[in-house]
Amino acid sequence: MKHAGTLFLLFVLFFLPVIVLLLTGLSPGWRFPDVWPDTFSLQSITYLNVHQKQLVMSIGSSFFFSLLTVVVTFFMCLFPSAAFARTEFSGKALLEGLLLTPALMPPMTFAMGLHFVFIRFSLTENLMGVVIVLAMFSYPYMFRALVAGFQAMGEAYGICARNLGASTLSIVFRVELPLLVPAIVAGGSVVFLVAFSEYFIVFLIGGGSVPSFTGTLFPLLSSSNRSLAAILTLLFLLIPIVLFLLVDKVLFAVYRKKGMV
Amino acid sequence: MSWTSSLVLRLSPLLLPYLVLFCGGVLLTFCQSFGVLTPLPHEGGILAAYAGLLGNRAFFSSCLFSLWVAAVSALFAVGLGTILAYRVWQLPGQLATLALIYKIPLILPHIAVAFVVMVFWSQSGIIASAAYSLGFIQSMDQFPNLLYSGWGLGMILAYALKGTPFSMLLILALLLRFDVRQIQTAAMLGASGLRIFLTVVLPRLLPAIHTAFIILFLYSFGAFDIPYILSESRPGMLSIHVYNLYFKHDLSRRSEAMAILVIMFCFAVGFIVAYAKVVRRLEDGVRKL
Repeated sequence: MKHAGTLFLLFVLFFLPVIVLLLTGLSPGWRFPDVWPDTFSLQSITYLNVHQKQLVMSIGSSFFFSLLTVVVTFFMCLFPSAAFARTEFSGKALLEGLLLTPALMPPMTFAMGLHFVFIRFSLTENLMGVVIVLAMFSYPYMFRALVAGFQAMGEAYGICARNLGASTLSIVFRVELPLLVPAIVAGGSVVFLVAFSEYFIVFLIGGGSVPSFTGTLFPLLSSSNRSLAAILTLLFLLIPIVLFLLVDKVLFAVYRKKGMV
Repeated sequence: MSWTSSLVLRLSPLLLPYLVLFCGGVLLTFCQSFGVLTPLPHEGGILAAYAGLLGNRAFFSSCLFSLWVAAVSALFAVGLGTILAYRVWQLPGQLATLALIYKIPLILPHIAVAFVVMVFWSQSGIIASAAYSLGFIQSMDQFPNLLYSGWGLGMILAYALKGTPFSMLLILALLLRFDVRQIQTAAMLGASGLRIFLTVVLPRLLPAIHTAFIILFLYSFGAFDIPYILSESRPGMLSIHVYNLYFKHDLSRRSEAMAILVIMFCFAVGFIVAYAKVVRRLEDGVRKL
């Protein structure tokens, strides 16, 4: 059992919080100094049921702008990352470093500067503005993943297909994009998580008109009703996990159908 | 079409938004900090906002406090993350699947992680309850007020909880390509477990460790979400300072908020450059295998 210590530490650090959140969610009356709640009730879940409409709205909206951010970052990065993986030019390392900085800088530093211009172009309080700003600091994750994907793929497949007479379009859609899917999923998952869990930027640019899950969760976290906040937090955990599992399953099924697994 | 212009064209989907939105946004932040393009006509000189900040002691303590929280949480997350990643990497197949629970805090948003810290560490939290049941404390207020101690411990805990799995992820990715035979050779030559970790494994992990540290440090330094839930009023994190100036004070103090953002931005750039330089100098002195 030389691994017991490691597993115990992992459990206490990363899984115990989930159990405690579940218990908190199921027992609104759990107070100091009880280590274990004495009564359980479904009160918080009933509350969620009552406010179903607002909740579905905010989750749906968060989900939608996060997916949209993934799509936008994908189109931003596709051709540039191919160019980065396949061509050598002077200043490439410097340019790559510069292009990765938006993920490192505090997003406030550019988003607040942009804010009043966005107001003037009425990009605040709507989905488009939120997606633009989210994409602007989450694209480096997509970019890194795609560059790595293109490098791992190499150029041989494309050249081979061209030798066999494939057009540029069919090389892109039938040869290269399918091979790039793992990289897209890897980069897309991170971008999705960054967008889905962002609170401040959505609040700044969305200005309350763009409902978001974090925006719904936020006031509850500092309220006295911990039980409700705990249930919503668990929901927050569940949604991306279900999404990632789903993507995984679908991809696996598609690959198997094509005989690639 | 020449080679260069075709390259620029292919890079343009990224270059254009980068230049217009990111660089443009930063430029606008700079402009507004100098009193140009502010919503209200700016009073005083170009550097009035900066002069105001430099004469403000609260600003300096805020800076130091942000640095403290960022440095301690990032060091802690990277340290623990490195050890845990190494241990997880050694787990046999099935147990390794179990270890995937480490990804849970990666999925939770920062505000939820802050909430978890509150549930555990507040004076009426789980840890306090456990301490009471075990007889360490007799009442709630005997439990140390960690979250509001003035040292930012709550924020440090939250950033560490969020950052540890992140550094594990980066380091595990590097470990997957690590050659086990190097460890086996070292063991055969009689190296102890600790010695193997320190002299064989750790140097190979440094690139990921540096990356994780830079990302986590700068994030905790400038982010808003966790401090908004767990912050103590004084000294506050810089991001909270900016938020208050931007939203809670009148518009005439906009340039001050922007000046703080400019200082944060310049610090972040300077930090990355300096860090890269130091790492390069350290690496020059190390014998490569």
